[in-house]
Amino acid sequence: MFGRGLIKGLGITLGHLFEKKITEQYPEERPVLPARFKGSFTLKVPKCIACGLCANTCPNSVIKIESEKDENNKKKLTGYKMMAERCLYCGFCVEACPTKALMWNHDYERAKFSREEVNLDLFGSYVPSPEDDQPAKSAKEDEESAQAS
Amino acid sequence: MLKTQELTLNLGPHHPSTHGVFRCVLNLDGEYITKAVNHTGYLHRGLEKLAESRTYTQFIPYNGRLDYCSGMLNELTYVTAVEKLMGITEEIPERAEYIRVIMSEVQRLANHAIYFASMALDTAGATAWFYGFRDREKCLDLIEMASGQRMMPNYMRIGGVSDDLDENWFKLLKELVDYMPSAVDEYEGILTGNEIFQARTVGVGPVSKEMALDYGITGPNARASGIDTDLRRDEPYSVYDRFKFNVPVRKNGDSFDRVMIRIDEMRESIKIIEQAMKDVPEGPIMAKVPKVLKPPVGEVYHRIENAKGHLGFHLVSDGSTKPYRNHIYSPCFVNLGIFPEMAEGLHLMDAVVALASVDIVLGEVDR
Amino acid sequence: MQIFIDLANWLRAWILGMGISTTATELILTAVWTLVVILFVLINLIVLVWIERKSSAFMQQRRGPNRLGPAGFLQFPVDIVKVLGKEDITPAAADKFIYKIASTCAFVTAIVAIAVIPFGPGMVLENLNIGIFYFIAIGSTATLSLLMAGIASNNKYSFIGGMRTVAQMISYEIPMVFSLLGVVMLAGSLNLTDIVASQKNMWFIVPQCIAFIIYFISTVAETNRGPFDLAEGEQELVAGYFVEYGGIRWAIFMIAEYGNLVAVCAIATIMFLGGWNAPFGLTFLPPFLWFMLKVYCMIFLFMWVKWTYPRIRIDHLMHFGWKFLIPVSLANIVVTGIGIYVYRMITG
Repeated sequence: MFGRGLIKGLGITLGHLFEKKITEQYPEERPVLPARFKGSFTLKVPKCIACGLCANTCPNSVIKIESEKDENNKKKLTGYKMMAERCLYCGFCVEACPTKALMWNHDYERAKFSREEVNLDLFGSYVPSPEDDQPAKSAKEDEESAQAS
Repeated sequence: MLKTQELTLNLGPHHPSTHGVFRCVLNLDGEYITKAVNHTGYLHRGLEKLAESRTYTQFIPYNGRLDYCSGMLNELTYVTAVEKLMGITEEIPERAEYIRVIMSEVQRLANHAIYFASMALDTAGATAWFYGFRDREKCLDLIEMASGQRMMPNYMRIGGVSDDLDENWFKLLKELVDYMPSAVDEYEGILTGNEIFQARTVGVGPVSKEMALDYGITGPNARASGIDTDLRRDEPYSVYDRFKFNVPVRKNGDSFDRVMIRIDEMRESIKIIEQAMKDVPEGPIMAKVPKVLKPPVGEVYHRIENAKGHLGFHLVSDGSTKPYRNHIYSPCFVNLGIFPEMAEGLHLMDAVVALASVDIVLGEVDR
Repeated sequence: MQIFIDLANWLRAWILGMGISTTATELILTAVWTLVVILFVLINLIVLVWIERKSSAFMQQRRGPNRLGPAGFLQFPVDIVKVLGKEDITPAAADKFIYKIASTCAFVTAIVAIAVIPFGPGMVLENLNIGIFYFIAIGSTATLSLLMAGIASNNKYSFIGGMRTVAQMISYEIPMVFSLLGVVMLAGSLNLTDIVASQKNMWFIVPQCIAFIIYFISTVAETNRGPFDLAEGEQELVAGYFVEYGGIRWAIFMIAEYGNLVAVCAIATIMFLGGWNAPFGLTFLPPFLWFMLKVYCMIFLFMWVKWTYPRIRIDHLMHFGWKFLIPVSLANIVVTGIGIYVYRMITG
């Protein structure tokens, strides 16, 4: 019969009228992010061996690494800049890192007023923390601990 | 006799119903279209050229930027093309293949949900639009859990997938699979079963079988016109030959059929996911591929059934780490080509519906 | 029970007590009531926009506005303040005079239509004895302001929107008037107060249910609301006749649209739903509140339909209007006439 679909549609909308709402009240309600979420980057500077693999693997040459050789002829990091304005957030750099020094964090509020502010200076903004001295864990363990927390 | 004149209307590139930055110059007689001319290229980013200056692996994240509604499927196309070029198609681990199939079907669900949503919006059914986006969110949540990003996942790798999936993920997938059929029923209730919507779409912009073949239309649009083609069944890639699913085909090729094909396909996708998640084998997720990829000299063309049609990559290798040429055969671009012929004689309101029913994403049209 | 009547009498006595002549008093009172009606429309508007936003949001599983005021109730007043602060832009190629007065014209027709609506016994600004005729006459002039806006903007989209408006409104005026005619025949009067009074025992929706449906459909088209919002045609015409309008001029169009909505829902209440008469003898609420309750039920029905259905195509709209609604409404008049004749024969 003509009109049955019309009435069914009205029924569907009326059914949803009193249903639980699914909008997330963003600034008050924070989203629950999965462990692998790609927000921004954290660099654990003591772990970094300045090998440059991250810079090599980056499709857009976002990463600029500065390093110098210390007395043991070992490379030491002196600067780590990310031109995040042209970052694809593909995560190849994090995957490439052999010591798990470069990691994703869940800082997703990256909107800034100017392009320069978006760029990250991971070396300059590094804050030492006791966790950094622990030996590097494998990727799997990292994930488990992230999920447990 | 009154002197009458045709009205030239510039539809786009910032018109709300052109699904991006597509421009179309219409000649209107009253409100009926006498001539339509496509103008594309407003979103051209030169992805094919970019590929020539990136290594094979580095181009994977760019695939998400092609057709930003079905990132996983584009990545799958690209990585399988590279695998074919390197001759390692047989070495991909079983588990990775199953995960790839599940991911691409989840992505197909998300893509068809957004198609349904935009179709609803172009017929001014704002409520149905929200229902489509609600379910797309659910699919994207799963993709985000697996890959870390919603739209540009960068999850497929040459030789496998980037990360493994755990029990928790499969539990959520089960929830999605159990939920989705009721959502599809709701779509049918609120929009496609609605008489007003049927009046708006039945018989609008029909594409005959011959016309579809002439223009090279692929994918759901071709199936709506009665061409029984589906690469998942005809040229099975990955492990699609192990699953049982129907290929829905319709006859009329009008806008309504093009919508219904997608609705039917969503049900089939759910079936495929159900079968795949039941027997995902344990094991590695990456084949042993060298860190630096240097495919042998040669060329390859590989295509798969994207959510919108046949997406193909033509890769030419000169033996170095970067492709000599990367050509993208884009289904959206081909499908959009039919619009001028389809729009001729249509009412302005119908032209918008016909354009929406073809399912274009300008990121892929302009590349 | 009749606060407003008491208030009017008190005000009249107070002004007379200051030694002002009767004529002057009546003039002052009319001015006051006109102001009250305009205020009524504007206050209603806040409620209406709030209901529209909330109900549409709830249907779409959203929460709707919830930041300003309790449950987002103050969103619309704040929006108006924002809109007032915007730059007033007139397109260079527009017909400037007509462009500027078009929005005001739309607003005036919406307000003026309220004048004859009785909100309760005796609560009417102007108790015209051809009230319904006046309402129809005013309602049809609304077309003109939209056409003015559409053509004066000198934009192809708004031009098409203006053309559509005229075609749609003129064709739906006819079934609307015909559907009201059946009620007028039953009531035997064009005066809205008399029509309400004659529904004391039975609402006219019972004998005139077909007329009610026709009235509902044609008023949805009259007020340019979904699924008949072709004049706006958001998807193909961007915004239709007011595509070039911005700031407060645009807001006035929206206010006029909602004002029209209140007017047609009030008329539907008066003509079919028994006006201020309480159903089933539930007289614990004052008549005014019963009236408003019915009006809001009608308005919710409008919104429910708008947020469920996709838009209809213009040629289907025309076919539906001319080939279905007009014949049916004419048949309804004939049947009503025969019914009245038979009834009179039986009752003598």
